[in-house]
Amino acid sequence: MTRYTLWSATKKAALYLLLCTVTVAVCFPLIWALSTSLKPKSEIFATPPTLIPHSTTFENYEALLSGRQQYYQTGEKSQAAGPTPAQFFTRWFVNSVIVTSGSTLISIVVSTLAAYSLTRFRYWGRNMIPYFSLLGYMVPSIIFVFPLFLMMVRLELTDNLLSLVFGYVCITLPFCMWLMWAFMRSIPIEIEEAALIDGASRYQVFANVVLPTAMPGIIAASIFSMIVSWNDYLFGRVFINSLDNLTLTVGVMLFFEGTHVDWGLLMAASVLMTVPMAVLFMALQRHLVAGFGAGAVKG
Amino acid sequence: MDVRLQRINKSFGAVPVLKDVDLVFPSRKFVTLLGPSGCGKTTLLRMIAGLEDISAGSIYFGDREVNRLAPRDRNIAMVFQSYALYPQMTVRKNLGYGLRVRKTPATEVDSAVERVARILEIDHLLDRKPGQLSGGQRQRVALGRAMVRKPDIFLMDEPLSNLDAKLRVTMRGELRRFHLDLNATTVYVTHDQLEAMTMSDLIAVMHKGVVQQFGTPEEVYSKPANLFVAGFIGSPPMNFLEGKIDSGRFRISEAALPLPPLTRGIAPGLDVVIGVRPQNLSFVTSAGPNALAGIVSLVELLGSEKLIEVQIADRKRISVQVRADSQIHLGQNVHVEFDTSSVHVFDKLTEQSVLEAMR
Repeated sequence: MTRYTLWSATKKAALYLLLCTVTVAVCFPLIWALSTSLKPKSEIFATPPTLIPHSTTFENYEALLSGRQQYYQTGEKSQAAGPTPAQFFTRWFVNSVIVTSGSTLISIVVSTLAAYSLTRFRYWGRNMIPYFSLLGYMVPSIIFVFPLFLMMVRLELTDNLLSLVFGYVCITLPFCMWLMWAFMRSIPIEIEEAALIDGASRYQVFANVVLPTAMPGIIAASIFSMIVSWNDYLFGRVFINSLDNLTLTVGVMLFFEGTHVDWGLLMAASVLMTVPMAVLFMALQRHLVAGFGAGAVKG
Repeated sequence: MDVRLQRINKSFGAVPVLKDVDLVFPSRKFVTLLGPSGCGKTTLLRMIAGLEDISAGSIYFGDREVNRLAPRDRNIAMVFQSYALYPQMTVRKNLGYGLRVRKTPATEVDSAVERVARILEIDHLLDRKPGQLSGGQRQRVALGRAMVRKPDIFLMDEPLSNLDAKLRVTMRGELRRFHLDLNATTVYVTHDQLEAMTMSDLIAVMHKGVVQQFGTPEEVYSKPANLFVAGFIGSPPMNFLEGKIDSGRFRISEAALPLPPLTRGIAPGLDVVIGVRPQNLSFVTSAGPNALAGIVSLVELLGSEKLIEVQIADRKRISVQVRADSQIHLGQNVHVEFDTSSVHVFDKLTEQSVLEAMR
């Protein structure tokens, strides 16, 4: 082996070692959560801890999905404790799905139309608006929370899922619009002109030519919007105060409350909460990279 | 259908791009708008297509004014420089889109698409997407999309400029054949004078937003209206020499070259520029009344010809095109003879052809 190949092999090995360490560091909490969620209660605090459960159980998942929380103590004491977080898990899950899809839908429709207008029509300020909107995204969302809360009070939307939908639109729309604007700019105007000459109306040009061409950008913006809305804690905490209307992020925190923390249940909830975004991300990541790439080059 | 452009003006903000363009493209002719970058030829084409507003003037298709007509209502087809194919549609869908949006029955769309695909020899590519095609194939799809609807007017914006040199030559012939098959008026935009000369029935030479000359390829080549046209048309370019008219002769330094008989009426002492194509110059063995003495400063072999650059008096240079087997060497003392009948004379001040004005 020559000196050069030895050096290059060492470099490669060091690189792989580094990548493996980072991967383990990133994935370990998730793997631990999955492992804990599948352990029976007796094994959760076993010493030494086990990464792979000796005996696997789905009782935590069953409890969450059926709404029946199992307690260490049974009888009157547990009855007196009132409603348990597990009872609300499916409800919170549905709430999260509703606010995430609602806010994403609004953000995408508005940002796509706005980006099309900004890139295709001539009017004052059309070059400034995308940058100002990006500036809006740079402001920490906690600054928006209280003015928005006051607005929701006036609109009588507090403790209503609509308040979250509008709140999330406020934080996702600026970036979605900037992303779509950068993407739309990269779509050559000639293909629209070709469609106009072919006989298409403005609407047909938009629906048949622009939208399909902009699809990678739309997918990228949608994933961004969904991740932000799904993972938000702040707005859910401030705008909602009834158990029925909580979203998953805030609801899962309630598993901590009280004198006892059911770690198995909490971990199962965390895993279930991660699954939708992970699946979505894996299914669409190819488009996400293409979308951000196109925006970056032309923007 | 003929196309009439009446006093067309266009400005972008305060910048005028087209000035008083008056042209008539006769029905079924292949007309080329030729000029350097920024001369306004593409803007004019886009105005004919309805993609650009007209600042002043009128455009007529036949007897109908189309100024306010949307592109879709003009029954035109256009091939873009970038081809502008719909990236997410297959070739079949690209070809049929124009018919589908016009609500043509599906069976008719299919048969029209297949007919055009066969003519263009792209029938094996119908289920591919534009990204999977070569430049030449894309170009054919773009042509096919324009042909499938049987337009009255066929517009092409530098459709060959993205192709390699060999393919470009092949496509020139094919475009000309398609034009004859289509039986439509074709307006073609290019900056390549060779394309214009080989394909067109008529050429409009444009410069700085003004039509410099409109005529057949023979006319713009052999009777250039002004200095710009004379210099732009022809390869290798025309030689220009500045001098004065003196009793029917062109005086340059010590020499006095005879001019065509027509020029005898020109006022003596007029500052002129004469133009002679390298093909109309030849070498003679001895000095004569029609010859200029000089030294060969460059020899370029073009294949079947040689281009010889000769330095004459006052450090001026002229190019002479001779056969490749001519024995001319660098540094050789030569005498260059002018073919008097092919000399063009331009007024130095107005840059207009003096000869054409006197005809």
